[in-house]
Parts: sequence; structure tokens; C-alpha cells
Amino acid sequence: MSKAAIPQVKKVKNNSKTWEILCSVRLAVIIIVIMAVSCVLGTVILQQKSPEEYAARYGAGLAKFFAAIQFTDIFHSYWFSFLLVLLCVNLGCCTVKRWRNKVLMIGFLVTHISIILILIGCVVDLLTGVKGGVNIYEGKSVDYYLTRPDYKKNPLGFQVFCDDFLIEKHPPKYKLIAYVKDKDKQKAVPAKVGKRNSVSGTNYAVTVKDFIEDAEIQQEPINVSDVPNNPALYIQLSEKGNVTAEGWLLAKDRNWYSDTQRDLKIDYVWADNAEKHEKLANAAGKSTKPKLDITIEGKNIVKSVPVEKGKKFSIDGTDFIIEIKNFALDYSKRLVPLSEQEPNNPAVMVEISGPQGKDSRWSFSKYPDYQDKAHQVIYKDVKLLCSVPENFSDAKHRVRIVQNKSGKKTISYIKNEEVISINDWELNKSYNVADSELEIRVIKYFPSHGLKKSVVKRVGGHEGHNHGPGEHAGNPAVLIEMEGPRGKVAEWVFAHTPPHWYPDNNFAVLYEKSGMEIKDYKSILRVVENGKTMVTKTIEVNNALKYKGFVFYQSSYDPEGERYTGLQVTKNPGLLVVYTGFIMLCIGIVFIFYVKPFLRRKLKKGKKIEEYYSEEEMLAEHIE
Amino acid sequence: MDFMLKLTLYVYCAAIVAYIVREVWRAKSMRWVAFGVLSSGFILNTILVLTRWSEAHHAPMSDKFESFVFFAWSIALVYLIFELVTIFIVKVHESRIGIIGALQCVLVAWMICSALQADSTIKELPPALQSNWLVTHVICYFLSYSALSMSFSAAIVYLIHRWIFSGKQKVAEVVESGIQLKKDYSFDKLAYIAVSIGFPFLTIGLITGSIWAKGAWGTYWGWDPKEIWSLISWLVYLTYMHLPLMLPKTNIKKSFRPILLSIILLIAFPIVLFTFMGLHKLPTSADSDHIYAE
Repeated sequence: MSKAAIPQVKKVKNNSKTWEILCSVRLAVIIIVIMAVSCVLGTVILQQKSPEEYAARYGAGLAKFFAAIQFTDIFHSYWFSFLLVLLCVNLGCCTVKRWRNKVLMIGFLVTHISIILILIGCVVDLLTGVKGGVNIYEGKSVDYYLTRPDYKKNPLGFQVFCDDFLIEKHPPKYKLIAYVKDKDKQKAVPAKVGKRNSVSGTNYAVTVKDFIEDAEIQQEPINVSDVPNNPALYIQLSEKGNVTAEGWLLAKDRNWYSDTQRDLKIDYVWADNAEKHEKLANAAGKSTKPKLDITIEGKNIVKSVPVEKGKKFSIDGTDFIIEIKNFALDYSKRLVPLSEQEPNNPAVMVEISGPQGKDSRWSFSKYPDYQDKAHQVIYKDVKLLCSVPENFSDAKHRVRIVQNKSGKKTISYIKNEEVISINDWELNKSYNVADSELEIRVIKYFPSHGLKKSVVKRVGGHEGHNHGPGEHAGNPAVLIEMEGPRGKVAEWVFAHTPPHWYPDNNFAVLYEKSGMEIKDYKSILRVVENGKTMVTKTIEVNNALKYKGFVFYQSSYDPEGERYTGLQVTKNPGLLVVYTGFIMLCIGIVFIFYVKPFLRRKLKKGKKIEEYYSEEEMLAEHIE
Repeated sequence: MDFMLKLTLYVYCAAIVAYIVREVWRAKSMRWVAFGVLSSGFILNTILVLTRWSEAHHAPMSDKFESFVFFAWSIALVYLIFELVTIFIVKVHESRIGIIGALQCVLVAWMICSALQADSTIKELPPALQSNWLVTHVICYFLSYSALSMSFSAAIVYLIHRWIFSGKQKVAEVVESGIQLKKDYSFDKLAYIAVSIGFPFLTIGLITGSIWAKGAWGTYWGWDPKEIWSLISWLVYLTYMHLPLMLPKTNIKKSFRPILLSIILLIAFPIVLFTFMGLHKLPTSADSDHIYAE
């Protein structure tokens, strides 16, 4: 726009009424107000939703009305665009009308032109720009992108490889949440040691007494009393002087140990009196056999048979003959010798011969109702249930330690179900298991075995975990003291456990992860054109890849892992214009409000106010 | 931290009282007492902001708690600067801006109160906020909000003054104390000055936000509720700036014009506050990734 041209334009259009209106501040104010109101509407009314959703939310009539006047997509509607165009024209006209070559006018001109530039840039972007997205799987490439919001495939003209996609994480942070039930009050408490945090408005408080970053519960066996409530022995097994196994046997709980390699089983039983003691020590040889319960539905026949390989049974009152074909203590290891199997999943294989031929099937003690779908069951009315007694063992060598209240303690050695020897035993004395080089020794005896739980720092035990640096997930615990109407209660609270309640069940503390864990998303992208690698860049949020006008932003990811990266693809030909507008607007507005007043004061010296202010400026800046 | 926050709140509350006393009892010494109390509150607030910064390892403006504390800090800062300017540069010692000081202190105390109720645990910055624009963008906005809050207070005081002195019997008095009034800044003028300080920052904040959005999400304007509402607040102040040019050409009485402008300011600042902390109440905010997590 040359300086000479402006007065001409002014002269020609000076008297036109349309021109006056287009230049007027009144039009500008009206447009601004309408825009502000429609912006409010655009956030109050849901935008770009399906017609059904509008009908459900606002009713059919109102929904129709909204659709008719384009209230459902205000910011892309024709009337809003018209408003922006009108604003542009208004800005242009008033800039031309008020153009004066004065220093103090710079702010006015720069700001108004900048807004025109921004709007023009936006239109250029809208018409020729690209806004889309694409997902690239790790190690794969794309040569297209999908436009938004209609998801049409468009070619890029080159290939983009995603060589790797990473999600970086912060080490997790934890917070305590105190909750008072009857007041429904929550308070987040920093897990810092030593501070008493009271929940305002209530008489509850919580204090963190101790904190372990990576804690575990350690259980230490202790003797609770001398009354034999839960007798336990610490047994050591050694071969040629080397300890091969050691551990606790609890008479009333885990009372046996089996060494499949040496075909040996040790058990520990408690007798109530001397008579029973004798019986238990001697009867050890005849271990209880697993049994199989056969039920024939509809005939009220129940039969129980011992499980012994190869045995046949006929069922009275029916034509069935049942043969036990196989038995396994652990079905998955049924091919190894029985003595080497642990009783994990006992099962028996049975062949039922009857009038309709032979039906053979596995019956599992843990899953009696399990039916193999691939297998045809002929006799559905025959139900089998095998049960294996807990102390069952097929071991060749057996050691039984028996103890009773009166203090008698014996150790029996049994081989092939025959009692070889019965000896009295003493603490810390070794006893030979006859015929072998094994020695057995009782190290400790606790009449009343108990566990002392303590929370300690976890040491080691993390090798082999597959995690990157900074991703190590410890298991933190805090020792909290809860205060309330029933006094103080101290307790260790682990992260990720259910809330801990105060005894009155009205106050709880929860220890859980807090805040954002994800530090960054990163994709290593490689642009290949005509077989040649042009650019390689690791992009992340706030750091995009630019190539041939296209810009690739890290925008989303595979929610179920790290298999693909989600990229936003844009092309903004008008960006330079928009940014020029942005910079001009900043400069202009700073000039108007921060530079101009001081500049004017300098210029004003010795002159009358009226000479330096136009009428409009005096109005605008409240000068009287 | 909690104790410091409470102490700051009490000092700010004391500042409210001090400014009211100053307004009622116009001694010069009282002016310095009020200034001193608010300054000490400001110093405590500064310590809060700085300790948070060093603890969190990021600029303390990312979540609700941090924003409230920082907003309180910037309101106090802008008001203190403003008061220093009136004392040493404009040299209006007898001015009545004490009442504005009291209103600003109420706002500051409210912000600290909100901070006390917010979750104060330190959170890691989400990837989109890990940008240098965070500091520029947020500081611009909070400085502008602080200045605009002052225009809001001034508008309230102006309207109350007009309402009180609307009686005929007061006219003579006003004429009599004409010299006094000229020395004082009338409150509508003051409101304009406050807006003219805040509006450029509002504009720069809007533009830096747009540039940041381009860098992080690929679009400089996506019609997100936060973006729309920041545009609305900008448009409202833009209207305020342009109205004085338009009003003389309308039939509106000259004496009513400042009242109309003050009313606009009265509407505008709540819009700003809504943009700052009320957007989660909007039905459209569910799709937005720009709003403070509730």
C-alpha cells in the first residue's frame, strides 16, 4: 500500500454510507460481542456430535433448531466464517481510514494489520493445509496418512519408518489418603516421616513414623510358649557331611517332607498319649492308599476302592467292570516314575467296561467334574472321584518322627513299608537313615511355633527382572500412627493394599500411587525417499519432525503396550503468515500500552494536549 | 509447608484489616503499616513459591495447588508495584486506593484458602507440559489476571461511589473538593490503567499458548474449551477497549458511560476466573486435555 494511494481511496469513498459503516467502531464492537457470545454457546452446547445425541440431550425440537442454525458446529459454520470475514473487512477499512504517518500510530496499525494477517493465515491453512494422523507399528513404515475427521487415506510421497517407540516413566510416587467416613472427608497426606496430619473438622490424625522405600514382610519363627500347641521341629538332612535340606516341620500343619531324588519321605506327627504314640510309630509302614469313589447315578450305588495299578473291580448290581489303568500324583509329570512326582494334580486313569463297550478316562482329584471335550464319554452316569490322602507316599524310605505330651520322642525308619528300627531321639544328634549315607538331625524344637512378622528393607532378589533404569518398582511401606477417639494405633501399611481402618471403622488410611507416571513418549522416526534415508529423528511431545512441509507430532500411542506410535501429521502453509501476525500483535500491543504513553509524554513537552491527541485517542484513553 | 501456607494466609488476612483501617483512618503512617503487612505476606508467599519450585523440580504452576499459590503471589506483586508507583512516581499520597488494596488482599486470601484445600502433593509434569513455554505462558497470564483483578476491584469501588454520591445534596460537596478529586485518580480511570497494564499480557499469554499448542499438539488453534474461553475473556476486554470510541456516537448519556464500562469490567473478571478454574463444569470439557485434573 503506497502512501500516495491512501488519500485517493479516502476521497473516493469518503461519503459512501456503506464505507462509513464498514469502518465504524460500532461494527467492530458488535462483531466482537457476537463472537464472544457464540464462543460461549460453542462451549455450552456440545459440538460435532451425532444428531441422535443432540435429540437425546436437548429434545427433538431444539435439536432440529440447533442443526438448522448450525449451533452443532459453531466454529465451522457459515455464519461464524462470515463474521470473521466481516471482521477482517472492518479491520482493513478502519486501518485504511485511520492511516496516518505518525510514530504514535504504529501501535494501532501494527495490531490491526496483525489480526488481519492471522485470519488470512488461518484461511490459507484451512484451504491448503493438512491435518491428519497415522499410527506406525514398531519396525514398520507408512507412506500415507489419514485425514481428520473423515479418515481418508492420502499419500505422503515418502516413507516414514518407526524404528522404535518408547514410553519413559518416572519412578512411581506414593501418597497417603486419610478418609473419615461419617464426614466423607478426604485428605492427601505427604508420606514424610515425623509430621502429624490432622484431618480438619474431625478429631482424627495420622502421623508417619517410618518409611521403607522397598519393603517386605519378614517372618521369623519364634516359640510362643512351652505348651505344645503347635509343635514344630527344625530338621536338617545331610549326606556325607553336606547339608542337603533343612527346614521346619509342623506337626499340625505342614508335617512332611519328601525327597524324590533319594526316594525318601520324612514326616512328623504328634501323639496325644503313649498308646497312640506306639501305634503311630509302628503303623507308619502302612501308609494310607489313595482311593477312588465310584458313584452310579440313578442307581444309588456308591463304592470306594483303593487305587492300585492294574486292579479290576466289578460293581454289584451293574454290568460295569472298572479297571485302574494308571495313577499319577502330578498329571503333567505322569510319565516320570511316581516316586519322583509331587502331589500337585493327582489323577487316576480308569477303564470302564460295560454293555456299550470300553470307556477310558482320566479323573482328576482337584477337578472331579472336568470332562475332556475331545473325548467321548460313554457312561455318563458313572461318576468318579479320586482322593489322595495328604500323607500318601510311594517312597521306598520313610522316616517318621513321633512325639507326645509326656516327652517321649521316637524316630522310626521304614523301608518298603516295613519298620526297620525305632529309636529315641535327642536334639542335635545325628541319626543314620539305614542303608544309605543320609543322616537326619533335629536342630530345634518349638512346642508352640509362631511367626513374628516384621517389616524390613528388601535386599537383593531383583536380579533378572527385566526393566529399564528408573523403572524399578519397589514396594514401599509406611509405619503410620492413627489417632482418634480410641487412642493411638500404629501399623505398617504397604502400597497397593486395601485401606487400613482405625478400630472404630470410621477412619481409614490408604497408601497408593499418585500423579503422572509417564515422563515422555518417544519415537525414533526415519524418513526414506526413493530408497534413501533422508532424516532420522527421535521425536517426543513438544519436539516434532519436519520434512517437506509435513510435520509429525508425537500425539498418541498403543494403550495396550508399546506396539505402535500415534503421530499427528500436519502441513501449515499459512503458518509463517500466522506467526508474523502473532509477533506483530505482541509488538503492537506492547507499543500501544507501554511505549506510547512514555513516548507521548516526551513529545508533549511544552505543547497543549489537544495538539497531540486526536479526539478519538482522548476518548479511548480517558483523557479529559 | 502447610504451616507456612497458613501463616501466609493469616498475614494476608491481617493485610485486609490494615488496608481497611488505612482507608478509614487516613494517616500517612497507616499507609506504610498496611504496605508493610502486605509486603511481609508477599515475602512469605515468595518463599512458598521458591521452596515448591526446588522441591518439585519444575516451575510451580502446573496443578491447582501451585496455580493458586502462584496467582496469589502475582496479585500481591502487581498491587505492591502499583502502590509503589503511585507513591514515588505519580506521587499521589492522599489517594483512596487503600480500599482497592483491601479488595486485592481479599482475593489473595481467597486464593491461599483454595490452595489449602487443594491437593498439595507434588505431581510429575505430563509430557505436554514439559516445555519452556510453560513459564512464559503462565507468568504472562497470571500477571495479566492480577492486573485485571485490580480493574475489577476499581470498577466495584467506582460503582459504589457513584451509587453513594448519586444524591443531589452531594453535588455541592463534589464541586468543593474538586481539587482533591483531581489529585486522586478517579476509580474508572484507575480501572482503565489496570486493564491497559493487564491486556497486553493477556494477549501475549494467548499467543504464547497458541504457539505452544502448535509445538505440542500440532495445531495452533483447536477450539478447545480452554482456548475458547481465553479468547472470550480477550474479546470482552477488547470490547472494553473499543467502547469509549463508540459510545459518543450513541444516545447513551455521558455520565452513564463510565458506569457501563465498569459493568463490563464487572462481567469480564468473573469470565477470567472461570477460564482459570471453572472449566471442568462445562459439558464440552470432557473431551479436553487442557483442564486441570479434578
